[in-house]
Amino acid sequence: MMGEGNLISELLQARRARRMQPHLMRDPGNVIEVEHLTKRFGDFTAVDDISFEVRRGEIFGFLGANGAGKTTAMKMLTGLSFPTSGSGHVAGFDIWKQSEQIKRHIGYMSQKFALYGDLTVKDNMELFAGIYGVPKNEVSARIDNLLGRLSMSDEKNAPVKDLPQGWKQKLAFSVSIIHRPEIVFLDEPTGGVDPAARRQFWELIYEAVDEGITAFVTTHYMDEAEYCNRISMMVDGRIDALDSPSALKQRYGAASVAEVFDILARGAKRAE
Amino acid sequence: MSSFGYLFIKEMKQFFANPFMPVVLILLPLLLMLVVPLAANMEVRDVRLAIVDRDRSDMSVQLIDRISRSGYFVFASYDDTYDKAIHELSKGNADIILEIPAGMEKAVGRGENAEIFIAANAVNSTKGTMGGGYLSSIVSEFSSDLSVQGGQGEGMPLRIVPQYRYNPHLDYRLFMVPALMIVVIILIGGFFPTMSIVSEKENGTIEQINVSPVRKRDFILSKVVFYGLLGIFAFTISILIAHFVYGLASNGGMLEIYVSAMIFLVFMGGFGLVISNYSETLLQAVFLMLFFVLIFMLMSGIFTPVSSMETWSQYVTYILPTRYFVNILRAVCLKGSHFADMSFDFIMLSVFAVFINVFAIVTYKKQN
Repeated sequence: MMGEGNLISELLQARRARRMQPHLMRDPGNVIEVEHLTKRFGDFTAVDDISFEVRRGEIFGFLGANGAGKTTAMKMLTGLSFPTSGSGHVAGFDIWKQSEQIKRHIGYMSQKFALYGDLTVKDNMELFAGIYGVPKNEVSARIDNLLGRLSMSDEKNAPVKDLPQGWKQKLAFSVSIIHRPEIVFLDEPTGGVDPAARRQFWELIYEAVDEGITAFVTTHYMDEAEYCNRISMMVDGRIDALDSPSALKQRYGAASVAEVFDILARGAKRAE
Repeated sequence: MSSFGYLFIKEMKQFFANPFMPVVLILLPLLLMLVVPLAANMEVRDVRLAIVDRDRSDMSVQLIDRISRSGYFVFASYDDTYDKAIHELSKGNADIILEIPAGMEKAVGRGENAEIFIAANAVNSTKGTMGGGYLSSIVSEFSSDLSVQGGQGEGMPLRIVPQYRYNPHLDYRLFMVPALMIVVIILIGGFFPTMSIVSEKENGTIEQINVSPVRKRDFILSKVVFYGLLGIFAFTISILIAHFVYGLASNGGMLEIYVSAMIFLVFMGGFGLVISNYSETLLQAVFLMLFFVLIFMLMSGIFTPVSSMETWSQYVTYILPTRYFVNILRAVCLKGSHFADMSFDFIMLSVFAVFINVFAIVTYKKQN
């Protein structure tokens, strides 16, 4: 009887372990691998058979016009929505079966400000440090560190909703990396702020990348694309080009990424 | 601390950071319990009475005098015959006819019974039935006084069926106040968690939770437990008002009342979350919740007894958890029942509470 019981518990443990174990990436240098990913809403194909890889430690720019399918693609990678077909791995976990595992290893900053506006800066940081399981003895050090980097130590007890837009975005980014994820997904992080605030925001991204976090950024500001290591251009749900900014400019004989985008977007059918 | 703990603290901080909700939490039970029983007065006064006194004896005069002293009646007419009185009733000049039979005093003197006839116009049914009720309780009081005076041991000479046993003066407050306590718990327990989760949807904060490794049950339970505690707080305010303002004494244990209130609040919380899982906007959620809350209130015996409903709708009440909660509160308050006497109601209430919360967790989709 004892032996049987042990056997069963061993089997269960083995099954559990298998479920928890990350699938091996095709290339260990990749943190995201996506093949033939598609998402349809009824007749509308929001994301149309895209395939790409993101290398560990890079800043990957996910460019496209409004409505090109950037946010939809990102939601499939972050475990917020299921693909219609195709496969993908994020941080070594399957986007179909291991989305809750993926969520432990990624950070996400939504297009819409999504921290708790009625809570203070510090409360928001404590909450997200807590639910991502940051060890208790490290929490206050990390919060102080982030507050220092943001120069927001004086505002730590202010309700988040009272902060200016540029500060909110920097705060949202800092909260999304408070648990030191492998990848941080940023969905149009600099929408609606002035160029100076945007530059400051990109400095934060560089600091995070220096610490080993991979950044996956969607944007429709083409000047920001120049800050990325590699960019993909999404048009009508498909990825039409993917390379480093300089290689793309060379290939299309363009002076800037914006020009490359104009060339590609000429064929677009979806209205803005 | 688990994510449940962090989320619970978050709910608490959010609630108290809001300038509006804590005020609602306190004002809702206060206003409902203090103002509504005074305003929604179900007491009937100035019932117009047509009297047909065919006895014209000392005793009949005494009886009429007593009715007049009660303060509930005004005398619309004195008629010789029942037909004339009925005419007054049909013209709308009188609400109730009281007919005292000829030879009442003599019959009582011989130790026989006499029948007093009451006819009420039930077009305004509250006035008719309540007035009839007052009248019969006055007559029965009169009658028992007579039997005491006469020294007759065999019972009352005037035959009246005694009614309204637990509320002899039909004090509407004894009826309204417990019902309002249930209304308080339904409103707080149902609307607060619904509003909280739907506003997370509207503000987009739920997306930040959905993209985190928080387990669905921790998120749901943090809301059910926190708003359940608020419900208990509001319920306590109601109980204190019921006791100190209306003198409503409970015959039974507070333990039974509180345990049932807690189970019921867990149900209401889970129910509110199911509704918010299917609603995208606050407006949608509030309308949906209102629909169910009305059914809970009108069909579970809070205001009208289940036993006087249509048979088919009596069966429907078995799937309304409010029914079991109302049963428990009534049984404890009126009869002093204990857990053992109400095990069926407690079991059913718990089954509903567990079921709806499991359903809330299953229908909450972090990924779609």
